[in-house]
Amino acid sequence: MAQRLALRRLLSLAPRALPQQAPVARHSRAFSTSANCKSTFNVQDGSDFQDRVVNNPKPVVVDFHAQWCGPCKILGPRLEKMVAKQEGKVLMAKVDIDDHTDLAIEYEVSAVPTVLAMKNGDVVDKFVGIKDEDQLEAFLKKLIGA
Amino acid sequence: MLDVSIHTKFERSYEFLRDFSFYLVKEEAAGFGKKVLVLDYVVPTPLGTSWGLGGTCVNVGCIPKKLMHQAALLGQALQDSRKYGWQYEEQVKHNWETMVEAIQNYIGSLNWGYRVSLREKSVTYLNSYGEFVEPHKIKATNRKGQVTYHTAETFVLATGERPRYPGIPGDKEYCITSDDLFSLPYCPGKTLVVGASYVALECAGFLAGLGMDVTVMVRSILLRGFDQEMAERIGAYMETHGVKFIKKFVPVQVEQLEEGMPGRLKVTAKSTGGEPEIFEEEYNTVLLAIGRDACTRNIGLETIGVKINEKNGKVPVNDEEQTNVPYVYAIGDILEGKLELTPVAIQAGKLLARRLYGGSSTKCDYINVPTTVFTPLEYGSCGLSEEKAIEGYGKQNLEVYHSLFWPLEWTVAGRDNNTCYGKIICNKHDNNRVIGFHVLGPNAGEVTQGFAAAIKCGLTKELLDETIGIHPTCAEVFTTMDITKSSGQDITQRGC
Repeated sequence: MAQRLALRRLLSLAPRALPQQAPVARHSRAFSTSANCKSTFNVQDGSDFQDRVVNNPKPVVVDFHAQWCGPCKILGPRLEKMVAKQEGKVLMAKVDIDDHTDLAIEYEVSAVPTVLAMKNGDVVDKFVGIKDEDQLEAFLKKLIGA
Repeated sequence: MLDVSIHTKFERSYEFLRDFSFYLVKEEAAGFGKKVLVLDYVVPTPLGTSWGLGGTCVNVGCIPKKLMHQAALLGQALQDSRKYGWQYEEQVKHNWETMVEAIQNYIGSLNWGYRVSLREKSVTYLNSYGEFVEPHKIKATNRKGQVTYHTAETFVLATGERPRYPGIPGDKEYCITSDDLFSLPYCPGKTLVVGASYVALECAGFLAGLGMDVTVMVRSILLRGFDQEMAERIGAYMETHGVKFIKKFVPVQVEQLEEGMPGRLKVTAKSTGGEPEIFEEEYNTVLLAIGRDACTRNIGLETIGVKINEKNGKVPVNDEEQTNVPYVYAIGDILEGKLELTPVAIQAGKLLARRLYGGSSTKCDYINVPTTVFTPLEYGSCGLSEEKAIEGYGKQNLEVYHSLFWPLEWTVAGRDNNTCYGKIICNKHDNNRVIGFHVLGPNAGEVTQGFAAAIKCGLTKELLDETIGIHPTCAEVFTTMDITKSSGQDITQRGC
């Protein structure tokens, strides 16, 4: 999709309410509760992914999403909510596939949303597309319990 | 050094518009077990616009254009709907930002689809600007300035074109082009479209259809190279439907009166014919659509001796898409003397890969390629324009059948009668073979596609007459076309 560098410059002049994240500030990730803040994070780059996902002692669900993907906008908040309910036993990493294409390709993401369940650096479970809250809860419980 | 057999180089934007063009070359080639590298790099527009994988068609051409055209058609449909009994109180308004976001989201999914596609076929992709540095070797520079070198046995150029600027004060600073329009984050408002190309008319058409105040500034004629009778009918329809035309003028200066999204611009124009006249007017947006230039200048072609047409940058090739340098091929809009159409590039690319690696000898057939211009009243054609037919065969050897028609759906809606038009040009000395097909009406693209296949099979007037029409449709008019131009009879319709 198209990006406008000029608009980015224009926005940088205006009072900025949103965190500076390329390209145009339309992806506003507002963390609603304090529990969310701790258990969900946006992956910054490859080494950040290594540190916070692959090398994390806790299990992590990785939400591969895209700005142009409608279903992602539904699944994202729903998954965040269910992750928060697990009270820190599982964390959630969000990866924008256009910003981190190499990562998406490495993990063979074809369609979005794709959610991977990672434990000790390995992909132990995965699903593609939207799931409801009960299905997500089961997915998370399996990851934590396994 | 990579063992790369085909290195496809792209500059600025892919030439492979839809889904397939370069994919097909890559996929075909990769399918033959060849290692393929694709370079794609979009040099941002003067206003900073850029886009993802897929080329002009996908990002700033056919796809967003047709979607915006559809948005405009839906507006018209809403107007018609009341005549069909639909009742609603609200005044209908259009939200530009909603439309652009939806279209860009779709394009984003296409961009991603191509990445996946390339990966699935093990094609290496680099988002880098490529240049030839020596025979069989290119230098690739990415956005961060990192440089890599690659060699390959064969190269395919598909670098496409970019909009031309007129070279007047204010053009690059204040004007937009089609490269910017389809992702414009704000509604363009009162717009001046400079140019009379199909890009200019299609854009002017849907902008007006979405409710904007649109003026088209034309230097001489509309749709140069197209059948001029059809071009005039297209223009006439647009004029009676709210598009203003300023004919025989060119802009000489664009000044900014006020910054903004959109801002206010003052355009000064000069007449091209007869009395020197000055025209001045204020617009929110100026859209330049005066032509496109091939992206063949700064990619090192001169270093390896690939000849290009110095005037327009296009690449002359033989009938196997090979340039004067045997290991360098070219496809798409950059080709000299060939049609600038997505499906043509796709077909050429596919067949090229098969010839290079699949042992095929089939060449791309550039004759009787159908096209459609998606102006408010759509125009589909296949074969020769009337001018080219007369030039090639002589007027006395041709019979032109024509008819006006009124789409059934327009009757109840109270829309223009005697406006939609169809004509076929037949070669008298070859069984009245249909050598030119032209239709002006709704769904022109859908109508034309089928007739293009018939023409490929050698359609004659007799076969057309023997074909029974589907009723009620617009296309059926071609199965009952009796009146010839030479008879001078009136084709005005009086009723069903």
